[in-house]
Amino acid sequence: MIIGAPKEIAVDEKRVAMTPDSATQLQKLGYDCLVQSGAGVDAGFSDAAYEQAGVKIAKTVEELWRASDIITKVRPPEATEVKLLTKGKLLISFFYPAQNTDQMALIAKQNADVIAMDMVPRISRAQKMDALSSMANIAGYRAVIEAGNNFGRFFTGQITAAGKVPPAKVLVVGAGVAGLAAIGTATSLGAITYAFDVRPEVAEQIESMGAEFVYLDFEEAQQDGAATGGYAAPSSPEFREKQLEKFRELAPEIDIVITTALIPGRDAPKLWLADMVAAMKPGSVVVDLAAERGGNCDLTVPNEKTITENGVTVVGYTDFPSRMAAQSSTLYATNIRHMMADLTPDKNGQTFHNMEDDVIRGATVTHGGSVTFPPPAPKVQAIAAKPKEKVPERSAEEIRADEIAAFKQATKNQVLLLTIGGALLLAVGAYAPASFMQHFIVFVLSVFVGFQVIWNVSHSLHTPLMAVTNAISSIIILGAILQIGSSSFLVTVLAAISVFFAGINIFGGFLVTRRMLAMFQKS
Amino acid sequence: MDLGFTTAVYVVAAILFILSLGGLSGQESAKRAVWYGIFGMGLAVLATVIGPGAGLWQLTAVLVAIGGLIGYQLASKVEMTQMPELVAGMHALVGLAAVFVGFNAHFELANVLTMDDTAKKALDGFAALLAKKSGAEINILRVEASLGIWIGAVTFTGSVIAYGKLSGKVTSAATKLPGGHLLNATAAISSVACLVWYLTSGALLPLVILTILALFIGYHLIMGIGGADMPVVVSMLNSYSGWAAAAIGFSLGNDLLIVVGALVGSSGAILSYIMCKAMNRSFVSVILGGFGGTAGPQMEVEGEQIAIDADGVAAALDDAESIVIIPGYGMAVAQAQQNVAELTRRLRAKGKTVRFAIHPVAGRLPGHMNVLLAEAKVPYDIVLEMDEINDDFPSTDVAIVIGSNDIVNPAAQDDPNSPIAGMPVLECWKAKQVFVSKRGQGTGYSGIENPLFFKENTRMFYGDAKASLDQLLTLISSS
Repeated sequence: MIIGAPKEIAVDEKRVAMTPDSATQLQKLGYDCLVQSGAGVDAGFSDAAYEQAGVKIAKTVEELWRASDIITKVRPPEATEVKLLTKGKLLISFFYPAQNTDQMALIAKQNADVIAMDMVPRISRAQKMDALSSMANIAGYRAVIEAGNNFGRFFTGQITAAGKVPPAKVLVVGAGVAGLAAIGTATSLGAITYAFDVRPEVAEQIESMGAEFVYLDFEEAQQDGAATGGYAAPSSPEFREKQLEKFRELAPEIDIVITTALIPGRDAPKLWLADMVAAMKPGSVVVDLAAERGGNCDLTVPNEKTITENGVTVVGYTDFPSRMAAQSSTLYATNIRHMMADLTPDKNGQTFHNMEDDVIRGATVTHGGSVTFPPPAPKVQAIAAKPKEKVPERSAEEIRADEIAAFKQATKNQVLLLTIGGALLLAVGAYAPASFMQHFIVFVLSVFVGFQVIWNVSHSLHTPLMAVTNAISSIIILGAILQIGSSSFLVTVLAAISVFFAGINIFGGFLVTRRMLAMFQKS
Repeated sequence: MDLGFTTAVYVVAAILFILSLGGLSGQESAKRAVWYGIFGMGLAVLATVIGPGAGLWQLTAVLVAIGGLIGYQLASKVEMTQMPELVAGMHALVGLAAVFVGFNAHFELANVLTMDDTAKKALDGFAALLAKKSGAEINILRVEASLGIWIGAVTFTGSVIAYGKLSGKVTSAATKLPGGHLLNATAAISSVACLVWYLTSGALLPLVILTILALFIGYHLIMGIGGADMPVVVSMLNSYSGWAAAAIGFSLGNDLLIVVGALVGSSGAILSYIMCKAMNRSFVSVILGGFGGTAGPQMEVEGEQIAIDADGVAAALDDAESIVIIPGYGMAVAQAQQNVAELTRRLRAKGKTVRFAIHPVAGRLPGHMNVLLAEAKVPYDIVLEMDEINDDFPSTDVAIVIGSNDIVNPAAQDDPNSPIAGMPVLECWKAKQVFVSKRGQGTGYSGIENPLFFKENTRMFYGDAKASLDQLLTLISSS
């Protein structure tokens, strides 16, 4: 089958869904690759580079769509493209099915299949094809770079001969993939970074990236992030009030604000209000990654950079990934390549659209002439470890009481054992002759000594212990030596054999033990 | 030399033996401890040979010398990986010696009993001791001797089978004759009957039958125990050989034999107990063989095993800060300990933290892995026990599982119906990434599916452990 990647027709979209590298991998799966002439130019991949990777070049859009069985794209298809998506073809791209129901119905009627990269379920197995995450990662990084570009100062604090430079303070709102990427970039540039998220369980992740988590003093039943597939859910009005209050308090100190707060299927919540922007110092920057969905900031104008009256720059670009087309194309093409690998279990260049597979099922929005969105809940529930249950601190008295109880129990056990053991011993003593008892006492004491001694032997020396006890058990040789001088020939022979065997054992056992012990050494 | 002196030497020897065992509490003192043992043994043998009761010292010396030579050859040639077989095999020798010595006691007793008083007075040594015994004492002696023979015989065949299983000459699966435990029980009851018969008649025949029954029990008992339980079996046989020596000590009236036998016996018993606790199994169920019945169907394992090649492993190791290696029997089989050690050296040279996690029942002998790693000159202070390292896995970047299976099986914690449910395991799946070096997709020794291999963060590095590591070493430069 042929996989084709057209040039994106959306204005300013520089990304491309197939790179020479990903094409090489796709060919290993048995596919032939096709790319529209000039599709990768904006991302830094020339037609020549594709040809070198064995990719054929299609001159026009129509030619590409006609020749390909599978079309990989970045942006959702536009009306002209939907027309080209004829029966039996498979489209893999971002699709946003919830907002694109009309197109979805149309495509289903044309009997073509669509796999929406934005619908890949958030389970660990599907991470390799999670294009939203790879794009969000880039967006987070780029947001900091854009902010730096518009920010007139250093990120790091420095003390130079020419004076002291204070470090920039960055606040990241929403610690999803983009937020975490932004935190990482900002901290590595040397800024003091704060981060906020409505999901308290991400505090650990935020701190691991080097930012400080902004805690709210608010009691509310914890949301379980896992229930919403790891995404945030809307918060209560009281919580929101508390949150805005905190932001208001922070606003005057913060130099750069990066907002990434999104709730699936809704407009972006307004979190950075006009009065907060007004409270910021001149020269500060707000980068709104949620601009496409209305923005987290009151003053955001989608696709534009504006400067407020008090000199705060508000960046509302919606094309951050596209601004790093080389990087985002590489990652997106790899996501697609992984998706194809899952669709091609036999690596024979033929797709097997397995609707039983959670990942494939979840991402498929039209299949076999019908709309298959929304998908059923996946069999495997996603991610997010349960919050740790706190072990209540035990008071000193309780610990003490436990110790006393344990001590009492141990005493009881020991006394019981001693009593039983003593009684048995006495019972034996009452009947057995004195000569036997003499030996018996020795025996019992030895067993006791053995128990006491062996408990202390370290785990790692158990094999040497066995070897040494094996060697020692050849003490049986004494018995044989005592009998070897017997007047009976048979006894002498048997005793001689025993001496011989025990001799092997003595030398063998001790030597092996020595060999083993000699090998243990400290570093 | 008179008896008093010999006894004094015995006391010294006994103390030396106790110190020898006690010294094994630490690696450094253990090196001294083994010399105590050797010295104690030398003293004991010498004192017995020159003491009262012994004869034919020339023959004894020659036999000990020949036996010693053979033992020396065996012990210096054996590969460290074959240690379990050797130890098991040597138990057999002790068992057999105990049987012979026990029979000798019977023969001497039979001789002495037929003599008249004047002849008795002319006797010396062991026979003289027998001549003085009263009726009740003679019966006790017979019980002791037959006990020694019985335990010795069980030890003998048991050890031979254990040797066979460990060296792969006998199938390691648990096999039982029809009748199972009933057969063992019958044999044991018949043994008691033979003992009673022997006590009343004093004839040789019941003793011989008793011996045959014991030989059968030893064979059947160990045949019924699966390969994975071998550590317990070997230490149990070790214990038996001690008890046999102690029983013989009773019948010969030799205190040193009793002391040492009891020491060995109790040490083996404790060792078995520790092993069983490490596997969360009751001692009885191990001895009776096979796993206990499961309460319901085992959890189904979902997902796929994802393979990885040496390049991938090398890259991950290059990025990792802390690495934990979990060796198992597979490493011993593939003789890969030298490669593991070399890998460790190179990774440590790059400033990475490399540690080993040893499960108490890894391998086929208690402490098996420690010995192998020590042989390969892995410093023992980076070799940690399960309890010491289990909490560190969440902060570990890479865990490498080399040839172990059941001891890293998360089903032991997650699946109450798993045959190994409740057994403490190394929680390596909590590491960021786990590599499993394994021959193929099959299940482990116990035949239990291992969900670890299907985890998201697990990658399977298929192939013979040694070959795989060789490949890996070429990718990790020594500088």
